[in-house]
Amino acid sequence: MDTVSHVKNSRRRIVATLAGVAGTIALAGCAQNAPQDTFVPKGDNAQKIDTLQKVVFPIAGLVGVLVVALAIYIFIKFRDKGQDIPAQSHGKPTVEIILTIVPALILTVVGVFTFRTIMDLAKTTDTQMVINVTGQQWWWEYDYPAQTDQGITQPIITSGQLVIPVGTNVLLRETSRDVIHSYWIPALNGKKDAVPGRIHLLRLQADKPGIYAGQCTEFCGLSHANMRMEAIALSKEDFAKWVAGQQKGYTSPDEGTKAKEGETVFINQCSRCHQVNGIKDANGKAIISAPDENVYAGAAPNLSHLMSRTTFAGAMFDLVNQKCRDDVWKAKSDEFGAKYLTGVTTDCLNQKNLRAWLRNAPAMKPMYSDPTKLAKTGGKYRGMPNLGLSEDDIDKVVAYLSTLK
Amino acid sequence: MFTPGSKYFVGLTGLALVSAVLYTFLVHPSDLGAFALYGLFLNAAVIAGFSFFTRDGDVATAEEAVEANTEATAPSFWPIVFAFGAAVTLLGLATNQIVFVLGIGALVGGGLEWTMQNWSDRASSDPAFNKFVRHRAVGALDYPGLAGVGLAVIAFLFSRVMLTVSKEEAPLIFIVVAAAVLVIGVLLATKPAMRSKSVVIIVAGTLVLGAAGVVSGISGERTELKVVAEEQPYTVAHRECGAEASAHYDNKANNMVALKSGVAATITVKDGKISAQLIGIPKAMDTITIPRSVATVVLFRNLDSTEHRLVANLGEAKVGTTDVMEKVGTCTQLTGKGQEQAMTVQVPKPSFANGPYSFTVPGVTGEIKLVVP
Ligand code: HEC
Ligand SMILES: [Cu+2]
Repeated sequence: MDTVSHVKNSRRRIVATLAGVAGTIALAGCAQNAPQDTFVPKGDNAQKIDTLQKVVFPIAGLVGVLVVALAIYIFIKFRDKGQDIPAQSHGKPTVEIILTIVPALILTVVGVFTFRTIMDLAKTTDTQMVINVTGQQWWWEYDYPAQTDQGITQPIITSGQLVIPVGTNVLLRETSRDVIHSYWIPALNGKKDAVPGRIHLLRLQADKPGIYAGQCTEFCGLSHANMRMEAIALSKEDFAKWVAGQQKGYTSPDEGTKAKEGETVFINQCSRCHQVNGIKDANGKAIISAPDENVYAGAAPNLSHLMSRTTFAGAMFDLVNQKCRDDVWKAKSDEFGAKYLTGVTTDCLNQKNLRAWLRNAPAMKPMYSDPTKLAKTGGKYRGMPNLGLSEDDIDKVVAYLSTLK
Repeated sequence: MFTPGSKYFVGLTGLALVSAVLYTFLVHPSDLGAFALYGLFLNAAVIAGFSFFTRDGDVATAEEAVEANTEATAPSFWPIVFAFGAAVTLLGLATNQIVFVLGIGALVGGGLEWTMQNWSDRASSDPAFNKFVRHRAVGALDYPGLAGVGLAVIAFLFSRVMLTVSKEEAPLIFIVVAAAVLVIGVLLATKPAMRSKSVVIIVAGTLVLGAAGVVSGISGERTELKVVAEEQPYTVAHRECGAEASAHYDNKANNMVALKSGVAATITVKDGKISAQLIGIPKAMDTITIPRSVATVVLFRNLDSTEHRLVANLGEAKVGTTDVMEKVGTCTQLTGKGQEQAMTVQVPKPSFANGPYSFTVPGVTGEIKLVVP
């Protein structure tokens, strides 16, 4: 093969590769099942970003294409063909002034709209509900301060799934217990970092009932990729039902049941990290968990109403089986609330996932939980350790956890 | 073949390699120290390579190098600066951070200049050429370095002024100064005839800034958020906090930006009443809800003329291994009128277990409930 065709060949290969990459990117943009798509706003705040984006992206895109096209044109047109060096001139005021004023004007227009959006997104005066959001490796905790005007008479604490009423300006007060995380529900608003020692505010508002998926977007260690979250928007009536469910007191399983045996296992194995509000020991004394002594972040998910959420461990795994999951995710927005509020019924419970988690949590989700390697954190776990439960104990614990509605 | 520069770096390369290997085997293979020594080895090797390759700045032959080295060099005061820097650095270790930083500056600056001079003096046997290469090499470091120091001094002095003037004046001053800088810059660029006058203006401006900076520095920062609470002897009224833990406290801590941005709530005493304002929530609150096991900063602001302190009541706990219960809590120090203090609370147990928790101010009725879910 001669050199020329060789060059042609490799050139063709490069072009083919580039086309392939570009094609993949373009096709990825058309993904059907993409719940974290940034360009599909489902609430006021995300809508504002989208409106801005629709102005800025075309302008920026046009400028970008123009500059690149011009540059390529010049590279080719004036390439070195052995011609003489043309006459050199210095400066051309008209061109320079135009080239200064035009970008300045474009930037001013973009700037005005951008600033307005930023200001709108930073507003807190129209807040109707506040929720404290606390990130830690690798899950999110939500606690709702008592707000009687929103029907929340007692504080609520939950994790993974953030439940909000539709059409309500919710303000998240974000912080972190260990490293920097970032809260992002693309359909509802932009990202906001959760930084230890600081409180950052993020507005959320959803127009319609539904599940809006999100993802921690600040690299936060081993299981960063497994640190997800979901915002669940419910109609106001359904939200009130959810609140009532979260404020229900504790009922210990009946004597002699498997679940009761499970409660004992739970008290022995799990209560040092996980709080179940209202759980009592054999002497009738309230059991208070001590995650501060066992977990590096000082917290583990509160399991009082575990079965009211459909995912667990950083919204990473389904607590319901595929059929029930589809039922909830694909529900029409007016039927969604009722379906979500059903919670995890016995038929829906994803036995496989929950059992796998109890059998060996770090095998499902990478965590720093090898007890022999905890010197750096003073013996505290980052994540949930493998507790070496027997299959019999797992049966009992699953039976018990199923009662935590 | 080897000229003194290459010899020096070849020697350093060998020494670094030997130390690195010894360190690896005797101390720790993956320690920071090992990385540093291997880094030194690589760097020295590269420099040795360069100086070998360039024959220490174009010394054509070894004989010429010898000649260059026998040439008497001018006396240098850089070793003195270097030694002075070393002494000041040591002094700084024992006394004050600023002294230490100045010492390090003199040490590094003196060392660099000394090295460069030493190298350039022996670059060739032609003193004029030596001077030229020295100028070319050092100029590239000197001017940006001096400009950096100049800018830092200006920024520092200006920041003193900005911290002293009131919140309202500060933006005005900023705008005026920025506009003046822009105008002078434009004049300098467009009207070459202005150049000599501009120098006068710049010198005058710098002098004015210097004077303003010194005056502001001495008169101190504006007081709006300063804490100057008086130390009080232990009295019955403040029994819930016991004796003050320390006669001193860091009143600068409250000026830290990090602390300001991390404030979860501000508790204010005004007209004998206590109220709380939570970040992000427009209306006043009587309850603060904070997550468990999170260090949370609460700012206490006293707007009454009597001194007050904020007390966090965090339930009770057993004393040691006994069954005796004791109140748990923490307090700010006494805070005078118009002053603020920050308090950090971190509560590992929920309030339903150990509570109720609250914030109170002795001598003021009412309380702010603290809820930990
Ligand atoms: C050493 C502390 C510790 C112990 C002991 C422990 N866990 Fe966990 N558990 C955690 C942590 C931390 C997480 C959060 C892990 C994540 O999502 O990354 C967690 C998560 C979970 C979750 C998911 C909760 C949610 O809402 O996302 C369940 C369910 C769970 N644990 C059950 C148990 C049970 C049952 C036991 C006892 C058999 C137990 N855990 C023992 C620390 C612990
Ligand atoms: Cu994260």
